[in-house]
Amino acid sequence: MFRSKSWFGGGLWKPKNPHSLDHLKYLYNVLSKNQTVNEHNRGLLVETLRSIAEILIWGDQNDSTVFDFFLEKNMLSFFLKIMKQKCGSYVCVQLLQTLNILFENIRNETSLYYLLSNNHVNSIIVHKFDFSDEEVMAYYISFLKTLSLKLNSHTIHFFYNEHTNDFPLYTEAIKFFNNSESMVRIAVRTLTLNVYKVDDKSMLKFIRDKTAAPYFTNLVWFIGNHVLELDVCIRGNSQYEALPRLADLVAEHLDHLHYLNDILLLEIDDLNKVLTDHLLHRLLIPLYVTSLDKASAIQGKSSPKVSSILALFLLSQVFLIMTHPPLVRVLANIILNGNEAVFELKDDIVSNPIINSTSTPTSTDEDRANEEIPSASTEENPTAHNFLQTPDRNSKSSSHEDCSSPDMLARKADSLRLLIKDEGNLTDLSRRPFLSSIFDSLETSENDYSALFSLCLLQALVKNKGIHADLLDRLFHGGAEKERGTGKEEDLAEECITHTKSRYNGQLVDRLISIIAHTVKYESKVRVVTLQLAYTLLLKTVMKEGDKSCMGDHHLAAIEGAREENILLLQNYYKSDEMFLEIFEDEYLEMSTGKVQNVEQLLMDSHLLLPPAGSPLTGIAFDKRLPCGEVERSRRAMRVYFILRKLSLTLRNEKEKYLPLTNTQTCVNIDDNLDLTNSDIQSCIVITRDTKLRRFLVIDIVQLILVEPSPKRMGWGVVKFVGFLQDIEVMGDKDDSRCLHITVKSSPTNLRGSKTKTPLLSAKFMFDDHIRCMAAKQRLIKGKLKSRQRKLHMIARLLDLTGSSPSPPQKLRHHSRRPLVRSDRPLYNPIGKALPGLAMAVVSETQPGNRKNSRDQSPAVASVSKNTTHQDEEIPLGTIHSKSTNPGGTSHNGPQPASSSSSRRNSCNSSTSSSSAISNPHQSSNSAAQNPSGLHLKFPSGNSSNLSANKINPRRFKFQ
Amino acid sequence: MSYAYLFKYIIIGDTGVGKSCLLLQFTDKRFQPVHDLTIGVEFGARMITIDGKQIKLQIWDTAGQEAFRSITRSYYRGAAGALLVYDITRRDTFNHLTTWLEDARQHSNSNMVIMLIGNKSDLDARREVKKEEGEVFAREHGLIFMETSAKTAANVEEAFINTAKEIYEKIQEGVFDINNEANGIKIGPQHSPTNPQSPAGGPGSSQGSGCC
Repeated sequence: MFRSKSWFGGGLWKPKNPHSLDHLKYLYNVLSKNQTVNEHNRGLLVETLRSIAEILIWGDQNDSTVFDFFLEKNMLSFFLKIMKQKCGSYVCVQLLQTLNILFENIRNETSLYYLLSNNHVNSIIVHKFDFSDEEVMAYYISFLKTLSLKLNSHTIHFFYNEHTNDFPLYTEAIKFFNNSESMVRIAVRTLTLNVYKVDDKSMLKFIRDKTAAPYFTNLVWFIGNHVLELDVCIRGNSQYEALPRLADLVAEHLDHLHYLNDILLLEIDDLNKVLTDHLLHRLLIPLYVTSLDKASAIQGKSSPKVSSILALFLLSQVFLIMTHPPLVRVLANIILNGNEAVFELKDDIVSNPIINSTSTPTSTDEDRANEEIPSASTEENPTAHNFLQTPDRNSKSSSHEDCSSPDMLARKADSLRLLIKDEGNLTDLSRRPFLSSIFDSLETSENDYSALFSLCLLQALVKNKGIHADLLDRLFHGGAEKERGTGKEEDLAEECITHTKSRYNGQLVDRLISIIAHTVKYESKVRVVTLQLAYTLLLKTVMKEGDKSCMGDHHLAAIEGAREENILLLQNYYKSDEMFLEIFEDEYLEMSTGKVQNVEQLLMDSHLLLPPAGSPLTGIAFDKRLPCGEVERSRRAMRVYFILRKLSLTLRNEKEKYLPLTNTQTCVNIDDNLDLTNSDIQSCIVITRDTKLRRFLVIDIVQLILVEPSPKRMGWGVVKFVGFLQDIEVMGDKDDSRCLHITVKSSPTNLRGSKTKTPLLSAKFMFDDHIRCMAAKQRLIKGKLKSRQRKLHMIARLLDLTGSSPSPPQKLRHHSRRPLVRSDRPLYNPIGKALPGLAMAVVSETQPGNRKNSRDQSPAVASVSKNTTHQDEEIPLGTIHSKSTNPGGTSHNGPQPASSSSSRRNSCNSSTSSSSAISNPHQSSNSAAQNPSGLHLKFPSGNSSNLSANKINPRRFKFQ
Repeated sequence: MSYAYLFKYIIIGDTGVGKSCLLLQFTDKRFQPVHDLTIGVEFGARMITIDGKQIKLQIWDTAGQEAFRSITRSYYRGAAGALLVYDITRRDTFNHLTTWLEDARQHSNSNMVIMLIGNKSDLDARREVKKEEGEVFAREHGLIFMETSAKTAANVEEAFINTAKEIYEKIQEGVFDINNEANGIKIGPQHSPTNPQSPAGGPGSSQGSGCC
């Protein structure tokens, strides 16, 4: 492309090998002959500069003489010469790319030092490029960032000149800290952090004395402006339109806090002091904390305020992210103990620049009580918190005033200490406007808009590792023991309920319980997430030594009262909602396996800053909005129920015994080996789209199980599939009476499996004949019904609706199921009792024979064997049957009162009649079909022995 | 040079997997890959054409900044696309993908397109991670996958351009809010503010993005 051949004279031909010393010599020649950039040599220069980068890196990796030549000829000076002409972005970008490549790729440290040694690099840094060009800006800032990554205690001296007090790399970079391009801003931040990281005292002193105050002032001002913009977004009328911007601003605020925290985490004491000072006195106290107090906002100070909700939100973020003790301790202390005087004093001293003297992390208790309040150094702005004013843009360059005078500091710190001491004599919340306003925000009678963030803030305080545990202890527990004299401890102690053993903050608990009380109302405006936070905080307040609660009786009673109200509400839904069980289980699953909403994640959600929404159309997660419609109301009531149940159990130090409804530990799992001796098994072929498998169907009380015979042990089966009966759907096949279409939906019961769209199984089951098919269908349908009923019973019990139920379902379960023992368990013996299908299946086969020849056994056998192709499976069937029905048969003295057994018999009858009606249209069974319940009544007590004998017989015959 | 859109990318992955080499290889074809030269950059830009439109890609390497939480966070948030790179000759770089991905998902815009790249495919003899493993990982996590070599330039072009295509499609579907620069997408100067939507997007897609 470029005409780069011999006509440059000097006999220097372009060497064939682009990676060689000769080539660099050639390029040197080109550069020296084209020192003036013009239209014609522009392309040539660009290619030359590019090639230089390539050769130098090649030389660095392969041939050291290349670099020697470069240094010897001082080729970097050509770069500067070119740059200083108005060379256009084309050449500039190439220059910057070459420099980027050089500093990014050079591994040889000596080479790097040589490159940096003649100050050319600093000249390049201060060169005024055309920063309006996006590309130039990006390459330039990348170049600075690359350099910053090379900084260490040796290389720093090439950039920071102690004698001239010059540090262009840093001072030039921070000029772009508020660039409109996010990537540029990030690069600046990276650079600053890389600079601070270098352990060089004089450099850090320079940073602190000459740049920290203006840089941090600007930074803080910038954050303050973002916050004000955020406030406008929230107050605006078109809130949902502003949502993207809102989300952006929230994320931006988090970015700022993380950046400030990253600086603080570097633990450069001097720098941290200035930063803490700026943050506290130019942002956190004047804007965030004052905005907490609605009263002071009304007083109409000139300084801008944000809504108290936003203030709670922002402060929560601060406490979640920042842990620098001098910062968070002072802030927490002001919020919990301070009053407006803090700001009045602030205004008095505002003209005197002082710096902070934050207490050390090892301060004693007394120190803590009198936590010194650092004050701002305010040499640029007349008022510290006037964010709307543009900060002094020149401050960065004119930053030579000393912003920290230890003498002045001492004086002002004293006055601040006095102030906080005065505050120590306060005796009630009324003199603690911020704490009281946090507490007031917990009010939820209208809605929980502010309560949610108030809870977040308290939660964030709890989680913050930088705050004195003691301060928190006094907030939540009122201190370990009563102290004399200091006043502070006393007044807090007054607010505490004295329990026999320990105390807790009664005022706080009152408010938390009031949230709960509002939550359980039918038309409640409290969101589930709020309740969850209140729950966590309540436990934090009243739980001692892990699992013991010290909650007073009246508080406990209030919680139980709220629970009852919630249960009453749920009882209505229980009665009216047909899907109650499914929703109940689904919600339980959601609550127990769903992601636990931690406060950090909560505070990233900008949606919450808007007034609580009630519609799913907003796209806000269910627990973060109000319910919409009755179904959601019942869902919500369930969630509330689960939370309150957990709370109540925890406070009473009890374990959950009844939830989840299905104890998955006692369920059969795939690949289990089951002893199916004496069990009711049906052979079938399971046909799905791709497969056709022979399986044996076993119906347990809650599960549908498909097994294949165990290769190792006779009579055992290996589980190949399990599904809950509750989740099945059964349909007959129009064309084939031996077939059933069975769909097993994925279940909310199955805690391990996540919810999936596809069913667990959707297959055609082909049985040996249509009778078995019908029998299976009946049993599945009955099983499903029973399984649901059983669970509904359990729920009824949980909801105190068990008054009329004679046998609690729990008992039934315990009867019928044992803890799963993998090896030798007489698995299905007891189950037969609970399984109507078992009796039905056999009866349907044997009854025709029984009826005809009640004494003659052989026809019955014949009829059975005719219908049975898989005798092996029939054996246990009969066995179970005999066992399960025997007691019933012998004690068959008229109608039985017990609901469980009578229902079993009923089902027995109905299935019998229907199947026998098909298989053998016998007179008596026909009549039974018309009157299912009448069948049993037709067996007088005298016949019962007959009946039982008949039922046992087939089995015996099969054995023979 | 004017462009219809500017997409900002970041490159992430363990150190030494060849991120900066990939970056240079893609953004600057003038640097021919040579066996005895390893060379990379931390920033690069290049113009490509998709659907007849000029699209500028700006690629930022995030290497060396992992120590600072605020920096990674911001980088992710400001990018429309991310290239997640591992080294097929180093199993550990593959094992760390989950962590990288979690980080990316946590901090980034949910629409960010992530492409998984197994780099150094030229070193097949020293391969420790099978191509199939990369494919499986990508499928499981919904990523686009490709094996590349910065040394031979194999697939480098495709990796960057396919990612851009995916972003472009998302813009057409109205998934990306292109008016919000925080997403890592910028509308070029040639698109006047009166007509921020690309013609292909039409009124339908503008409505779509409006209600989200």
